[in-house]
Amino acid sequence: MRTFLQALSFLIFTTLFIFANYKLPEWLPADVYLRLDPLLGLSAVLAGKEVINRALWSLIVLGATLVIGRFFCAYVCPLGATIDFWDFLSFRQKNRQGLKSEASWRKLKLILLILFLSSALAGLSLAYLMDPLPFLTRFYTFFLYPLLISLINLLLDFWRPLFEALGWIDVSHLHYAQPVYYMTFITFLIFAAIIALSRIAPRFWCRYLCPLGAFLSFLSPLGLFRRRVNPECNECLKCQKACPMGAVQPDPKKTNLPECIQCRTCAKVCPQGAISFPALSPANREAQLGGEYSGMDFSRRGFLYSFAGGLTVAFLAGRTPFTPLQGKHQLVRPPGAIPESEFLRTCIRCGECMKSCLTNTLQPCFWESGLAGLWTPKMDLRFAPCEQNCNVCGKVCPTQAIRSLSLEEKNHAKVGTAILRKEACLVWAQDKLCLICDEICPYNAIVFRAVEGYRRPVIIASKCNGCGFCEQRCPVQGESAIVVVPNGEIRLKEGSYVQEAKKLQLEFKPDPGDDKYILEQSGFKDGDKKDLEKSERPEEKSQSPKPKGFL
Amino acid sequence: MIEKSGQISRRDFLKTAAAGLALSLAGRSSFIEAKEEHDLVVISGDPVTATRAALEAMGGISRFVPKAKRVVLKPNMSFSNPPEWGSTTHPLVVATVAQACIDAGAQRVMVLDYPLRPAELCLKRSGIQEACKSIKGVHVLALEDRKFFREVKVPQGKVLDRVEVLKEVLDSDVLINLPQAKTHSATGVSLGIKNLMGLIWDRYSFHSKYNINQALADLATVIKPQLTILDATRALVSGGPAGPGEVQKPNLIIAGIDPVAVDSYAVSVAPWYGQNFKGRQVEHLLVAHQRGLGKIDLEQLRVFKGKA
Repeated sequence: MRTFLQALSFLIFTTLFIFANYKLPEWLPADVYLRLDPLLGLSAVLAGKEVINRALWSLIVLGATLVIGRFFCAYVCPLGATIDFWDFLSFRQKNRQGLKSEASWRKLKLILLILFLSSALAGLSLAYLMDPLPFLTRFYTFFLYPLLISLINLLLDFWRPLFEALGWIDVSHLHYAQPVYYMTFITFLIFAAIIALSRIAPRFWCRYLCPLGAFLSFLSPLGLFRRRVNPECNECLKCQKACPMGAVQPDPKKTNLPECIQCRTCAKVCPQGAISFPALSPANREAQLGGEYSGMDFSRRGFLYSFAGGLTVAFLAGRTPFTPLQGKHQLVRPPGAIPESEFLRTCIRCGECMKSCLTNTLQPCFWESGLAGLWTPKMDLRFAPCEQNCNVCGKVCPTQAIRSLSLEEKNHAKVGTAILRKEACLVWAQDKLCLICDEICPYNAIVFRAVEGYRRPVIIASKCNGCGFCEQRCPVQGESAIVVVPNGEIRLKEGSYVQEAKKLQLEFKPDPGDDKYILEQSGFKDGDKKDLEKSERPEEKSQSPKPKGFL
Repeated sequence: MIEKSGQISRRDFLKTAAAGLALSLAGRSSFIEAKEEHDLVVISGDPVTATRAALEAMGGISRFVPKAKRVVLKPNMSFSNPPEWGSTTHPLVVATVAQACIDAGAQRVMVLDYPLRPAELCLKRSGIQEACKSIKGVHVLALEDRKFFREVKVPQGKVLDRVEVLKEVLDSDVLINLPQAKTHSATGVSLGIKNLMGLIWDRYSFHSKYNINQALADLATVIKPQLTILDATRALVSGGPAGPGEVQKPNLIIAGIDPVAVDSYAVSVAPWYGQNFKGRQVEHLLVAHQRGLGKIDLEQLRVFKGKA
């Protein structure tokens, strides 16, 4: 029963992950697992000093834990399921010694929890580093999902001749675009290490490291279901060996209550059938208690040290030039990202936006904005553009660090402005017939004007929303001759981007009449006209200027 | 701009396809003589009937599509814009030609492009995928990976030595070009010959490395469609090739075997960027003509004009 529920939860998590793409229907919360995570929610709320609606979902898990106990780890957590699966697959037969000073190691996860929460209080979001849900989502995004696509394509390539021979045309031409990410290797290493640690003890991660487990273990002793051992126990200690959490004390009648995840493995292995998990009614709790329990063992000093540790980390991370530079940051953030400082505090680095991104332009940061910016999404517009018919990144953001916007709103959430590097541009520098940026621009923000007797691209900044098609397609080798910089970006915590754009006199609705401008010389200033006449192409002088490509 | 009714007629088209075929078969004999007499067929009307009539006037699609052969159709579906924008070939033109090929006994019909925007969106938003969905044997595909291309030599190339072309095109028996009439900021207009650029892998070198007008003519020496059916039911007369821009409605379908002649005629059907031009004024068409790829002067063309 437990395995079934656990597998089901894992399956739902994975399916929702796969569904997170630009076709995601409005009603389906693909990020629901991340919303349910109380530690993520609390950390983001503490760091951002603002209530996040989607984080309120985590009250469900909090409430259920108060009633039932720490069931989340055994039944819901997809990382727990993954670890259990690998345990079963690789380490089942191994004789695992465990750690010598068990009890003090267990405190590690409490230390981490307090450290993460206190650093959040000081404005540095860190919980994502070790919270199991963003941790697993990152692994899925940066490693598993690209791997899956590679495997599918390999398989398709292998069978292609057969499909062709069978006349299955659509399958024989099927190919999935390969997603790629900057932080794949490092994400994979961390994940592999976590799994490998289970070689030392079952659920090593859950026992010693998981801050979410630590968070829930604060509440779980209040739950109604508790392990109870009746007098038939012959002290064979089978339960103690089987318990994946090591929650059975040296005296098998005693239970380390905060560590018990109610998986009921002990009850299953007990030859005497002496173990049960009855529900206690609060009224006669004392009377029904048949077991002995130990509670949280954490000193006030330990708490203070960890709390101070979190503040110190936050202080160190904040006292770098990165913090004052947040006001003029270098990175192009996704459309709808809230103002930079709030964004860094609220983003939980789950990678869901990067997974679902239609064009793969959203990429994880490494050190571009310091410790505070690890794994945050940036747009790599040289690599891929932002598609104006897609608004999925906001839809799947569990903390709304990227706001969920309608397509209309999203296309007004200007992420930056293109600038032209004339010295590198093929037209400006070499008089070549290149017009790719103009061809691809979805907003007619690039027009051609006659300069020095030749038509050259010019950017109309008020029409550019920074989508980056121009930067990506520019055929110049190396850095693009047209690059999007964050200058002019619109970052709103609330309110309408359409209205803000209107206020700033920006116009992202394409204007059909724009190209005529280059024909009607009346639109040009006298200076331009003179330039044109002085040009080295005398044959053009007498004729009225024609659009590019016409003789 | 085309009103919503375009979607209704798409459904209508699918329903009445059989009836239309019967009709067209009946009306066929009168055009058979015409086929040798005319270089070009220009039919005015809505996308479906005009395309159908143009095919008939060309002597019927079976003249080009022998039974049991592989056919590739190359519409312009490079942009994720709706048909009203005039940046992509009208879905009903594509579906009508595809249906005609199937009816003529084609083994399989591939509707192909290497789009400039995300492939899935292009197929969907251009309407071409949906229009062809229910025609058996027709596959609408956007191929975006290099493995679907193969390098060929360009023996008559002036600037282009080799070019990687979609394998499907090289291996097919018949290529029918279905361009959309529109402006282009680099080549003036984007018509049939420019549309062929959607069949090659490295199109960016055309802008950065080569003179695009020479390269296009080179390309036309290796990719030679048996038939070009140009969609000028709408013409994007500014803001091309992606749009949005001003869309006019010449309501014409221009069909012919000579790729330069079709394009040259298409230049004359609308004012581009607010000016009237002749085929000779379009540099890549002139180059193609000078390289012996087709006739460019309308006075020398025998044009069959009809109304559908």
